[in-house]
Amino acid sequence: MNENDCKVIVQKDLEDLIPVFMRNRHKELDSLRVALAAADFEQLRQLGHRMKGVGNSYGFTHISTLGKYIEDGARSGDRASLQARISEYEEYLSKVQITYE
Amino acid sequence: MRVLLIDDDEDLRNLLSRYIRAQWADAHIDSYDPLQRDLPAADFPLSSYDVLVLDYMLGRGDGLEWLKSLKQRSDCPKVLFLTGAGNEIIAVRAMKAGADDYQRKQELTRERLITSLRELTANPVERTVAPDLASRMEGHALGDKVRIPGIKILHLIGEGGTARVYLASREDDDEPLVVKILRHEIVTNKKALERFMEEYSLVERIQSRHVARIVGHGNYDSHAYLVMEFFEGGDLNKRLAGQSVSPPDALRFFRELMFALGDIHEKGILHRDLKPQNLMFRRDGSLAIVDFGIAKNIAAADRTNAGEVLGTPRYMSPEQVQGRALDLRTDIYSAGVLLYQMLTGEHMFDGQTAMEVAMHHINTEPPMLPERLQQYQRLMDKLVEKDRDARFRNADEVIGFLARNFEQDTAGAVDTTSRLQ
Repeated sequence: MNENDCKVIVQKDLEDLIPVFMRNRHKELDSLRVALAAADFEQLRQLGHRMKGVGNSYGFTHISTLGKYIEDGARSGDRASLQARISEYEEYLSKVQITYE
Repeated sequence: MRVLLIDDDEDLRNLLSRYIRAQWADAHIDSYDPLQRDLPAADFPLSSYDVLVLDYMLGRGDGLEWLKSLKQRSDCPKVLFLTGAGNEIIAVRAMKAGADDYQRKQELTRERLITSLRELTANPVERTVAPDLASRMEGHALGDKVRIPGIKILHLIGEGGTARVYLASREDDDEPLVVKILRHEIVTNKKALERFMEEYSLVERIQSRHVARIVGHGNYDSHAYLVMEFFEGGDLNKRLAGQSVSPPDALRFFRELMFALGDIHEKGILHRDLKPQNLMFRRDGSLAIVDFGIAKNIAAADRTNAGEVLGTPRYMSPEQVQGRALDLRTDIYSAGVLLYQMLTGEHMFDGQTAMEVAMHHINTEPPMLPERLQQYQRLMDKLVEKDRDARFRNADEVIGFLARNFEQDTAGAVDTTSRLQ
């Protein structure tokens, strides 16, 4: 993840949707942690798939990228990779800078 | 406009609602969360909606099963089905199950959603529809009309200058295919029709992993069509999206393109219209070339094509711009221009008009690669030499050069270069 990944431009008319969007992302992060602890790969796959679908739509391309990695990691049962991606997601959510245009 | 959104993702529902309301301020939109509610029961008022937007993955349920069930009801409205990108088999199944349109969820922009809803709710007898919508409606009607033995045309997915493009599949399986139907105005142009049919006969002769697989071709009620494999990875234009790709990726794509050129040149065929839109990716990442719409047998090109200028100006060789007789080195030049774009994210030449761009290929020295890409300058120089005698002579020479100089750069890439037996 580089600095540019954390800079997101969101369409101005979507600004009021972003608080809910971000709240759901933090909930998602919690769900990912719980699913990994329980080795629930099906849940991890579904969460990754959802991230992949919703990230790009709002302009958060890195969320989609991480979602794809998590979906793939869940399919192959790669716990180490999943742990690394979930940590990256946490770091991303703490650093992301949103500009409305 | 009354829309029912069935998606397990609150954020997607919010976003789609916002897009719709921005277009139709008085739209009535109901959100339906399948995590909280089961499949709409028989007394659910489906008929009160103009469009149902239905996701494939519903969290607790399978969107395809919901689609099949809902479409059995006589009051089911038009359905826009949302699928995952790169998974066209689901789109095929959805269309066969009765969906009226599908969109890849990850690529669903505001414009695509609105266009889809406009098409789904358009009144076919309305006379005031916009020209682009009218054209697409005509395309949908044509897809419904044309009959191809063993093939089911499912949905219009694109419109090019010479042909309309449809998602299709065989009647007895769900493998995604593409049907291209030549535009009627082109059919009346005998020469263009010959080119289209030639695309099939040329490509059929090439058994190569690097060339699009043709399933069939023919005519139906004066409509010429071509059936070919579907590329789930999209084209290079989409992959680039106005940016560069990493040098290792650029070299890998370029190397695959060279294998493709080697295969077609070996059969005596020039492509003559290489451009990002004609380089397609399969799901496994392998690359194949398509659209031999202006491809010509090398011998025939030598005899008949002097003075004729065809191709896309940005990627034309100098001799192509000049309308001179062509040989396989024209494709080598165009591939070099493509490599420049992949490495830098910029066009080699720009201009206000197609002619201005084309003339640069004759008169202007190619820009040097930036400092960070200097190791590729010698390769680039030899690809885009204006004097074709100073260029690489063929694809094999280029492949040898790559192997000698950039083996490290392409190491680790998936080997997708084996030829079909």
